[in-house]
Amino acid sequence: MANAFVAAFEILSFGAIIVLIVLGLGIIASMMGIFNFAQGEFVLLGAYITYLAYAKGLPIWAGMVAAPFLVGALGFVLEALIIRRFYAAPIVAMLGTYALGLIIRESVRGLIGGFYLTVPEPIGGSIDIGAMHISAWRFTIIVITLLVMGGCYLLLARTSFGLRVRATLENPSLARASGISTPLIYGATFAFGAALAGLAGALIVPVFSLFADLGLRFLIQGFVAVMVGGVGSFIGPVAGAGVIGTLSAALPWVMAPVVADVLVFVLAIVFIKFRPQGLIAGKGV
Amino acid sequence: MFDRPQLSRRRFLSNFAFATGAVATGVGSWVIPAEWANAAEGPIKVGIATDLTGPIAYAGNADANVAKMVIKEINNSGGLLGRPLELYIEDTASNESVAVGNVRKLIQRDKVDMVLGGITSSMRNAIKDPIVARGKTLYIYPQLYEGKECTPYLFCTGPTPAQQCDEFIPWLIKNGGKKFALPSANYVWPHTLNVYARKVIEASGGEVVFEEYYPLDQVDFSSTVNRIISNKVDVVFNTVIPPGVGPFFKQLYEAGFLKNGGRLACVYYDENTLNINQASEIEGLASCLDYFKVLTKENPFDAKIQAAYEKDFPGNFLFAAGSAATGTYRGLKLWEAAVKEAGKIDRESVAAALDHAKIAEGPGGPAEMVPGKRHCKMKMYTAVAKGGNYEIVARSNGLVDPKEC
Repeated sequence: MANAFVAAFEILSFGAIIVLIVLGLGIIASMMGIFNFAQGEFVLLGAYITYLAYAKGLPIWAGMVAAPFLVGALGFVLEALIIRRFYAAPIVAMLGTYALGLIIRESVRGLIGGFYLTVPEPIGGSIDIGAMHISAWRFTIIVITLLVMGGCYLLLARTSFGLRVRATLENPSLARASGISTPLIYGATFAFGAALAGLAGALIVPVFSLFADLGLRFLIQGFVAVMVGGVGSFIGPVAGAGVIGTLSAALPWVMAPVVADVLVFVLAIVFIKFRPQGLIAGKGV
Repeated sequence: MFDRPQLSRRRFLSNFAFATGAVATGVGSWVIPAEWANAAEGPIKVGIATDLTGPIAYAGNADANVAKMVIKEINNSGGLLGRPLELYIEDTASNESVAVGNVRKLIQRDKVDMVLGGITSSMRNAIKDPIVARGKTLYIYPQLYEGKECTPYLFCTGPTPAQQCDEFIPWLIKNGGKKFALPSANYVWPHTLNVYARKVIEASGGEVVFEEYYPLDQVDFSSTVNRIISNKVDVVFNTVIPPGVGPFFKQLYEAGFLKNGGRLACVYYDENTLNINQASEIEGLASCLDYFKVLTKENPFDAKIQAAYEKDFPGNFLFAAGSAATGTYRGLKLWEAAVKEAGKIDRESVAAALDHAKIAEGPGGPAEMVPGKRHCKMKMYTAVAKGGNYEIVARSNGLVDPKEC
């Protein structure tokens, strides 16, 4: 019983981490039609900013709060300078964002000297329930993920900004004709996606430590999650991330981890073969 | 309208040629010429091929620094056989195909007399043939590894499984317990090391509760941690590598493994890897290597080379055993001794002398090659992490045999 509870918690917490990482990726893919290969590096930047705050002696939570804003601002600038030129050619956009990611990743690798660096949790230690110990920080991540997910949903579904974003996605020319500044909306959406990645990086760095390939590690899983969930809506990629995250954490409990690692991808491919539109089809929130 | 200077085809081609040239030569090529030259024969050329860029660049740069330090020291004391040493450094870039190309440059273009380098086993396997067989050059491999490398003209100066397990595992059984878990990354070093470790564990009265392999980029170990806790494992003999090892140790800590008296053990842990976790998460972690920085307190020679290194190369790249820096030092000094004995620099004579070369002083103590085995006897130390530093808790009596080949 206790064992099952711990297992459920650990699987849930890893699922939450993947959801957190995929949120930004999914919003950019669904709302803008861009597969942002630099998303992993936005996660890395969020982690790096948190580390910088720690290294400079500032409180860690200050770094965690700053990370989404700084990464979001960078995303806004990059969209205006580079990404904007790619909307007509999504394949080129993949290459372009990949190059961008490579530049960020290798710069960070240079800055941290290729090391693996620890960042302590603002809320450390474990919560003890009887003989069971569950990580306090992982629990915090689950809570924050739920809040952020709810917040994003409300923003896209209930606010006028969300309405404009959806209008721009659905029919850009009509949106422009109705007086919506579509370039600004694209810029804001991309910045928002980047900010979510920055937040994800800031929150997961105490769990995984800081290293240059931190974002890359989750990028492929993130894309598989988006494919499984379905592109076009907000909730699709989130559902996909929940499934992929839970599966990759759950399978090693019942089989050899090396097999489990491959099996997640095999299952995803089979699923996409029979349901190419993904778990949740259609556009909208 | 304005006229842009036309990018002619010729101009484009010449730019392109320059760019590809720059990429191909790489920023990783270094030559450190000798400051004086013997008129008759010119300098002796030493080649270093190591990972200056890529994921293990921290280790490769430390090794290159050690080589610069040792070569400078030899040159300052008059060189070898009256000739100065010239150092050629090439980047293996943690990429075997790039490495083979760069190593060929060392052999064919620079015509070096010896190559030292390679950190991972896959790198050694990729570059040994271009060096030893086709290149007909001497090769020294400086890193701790899984053993079983018995290629002629290839000399290993880092610790082997026997050196890292024979005294360490009995110590772990005494200071941890009998039930071992072997969580491992899925590649050649853990697989081969575990075969040896399991033999020693069972021969010393311990038992292996489980041995399991993970993908190299796995970062979530909840099921593993759960098995370790529920099987009441005493010693986690870890061969999971970064990036997985940080989250793994953290999850073990959070699950109460250390609180319940569990012992972490990891034979590649040195000063570089201490920063992957909070000090409290790896309190009591035991490692067994040929050198720890804390030895500088008791061993004047270690204090001397550590100080010399830190003076020349302050910064992030540490003089540490797990990144092959000590093996590099030992390898170069053994080679120096061999060249002195041989009195010439051709491969046959130097290899014959290197086969039984000895140095009285090196990192962690003296070292000597085991004749006919091309592996190195050295002193081994067991150290335990305490509050973010190591403390030596056990040491070998004299030099430990590598038991290879």
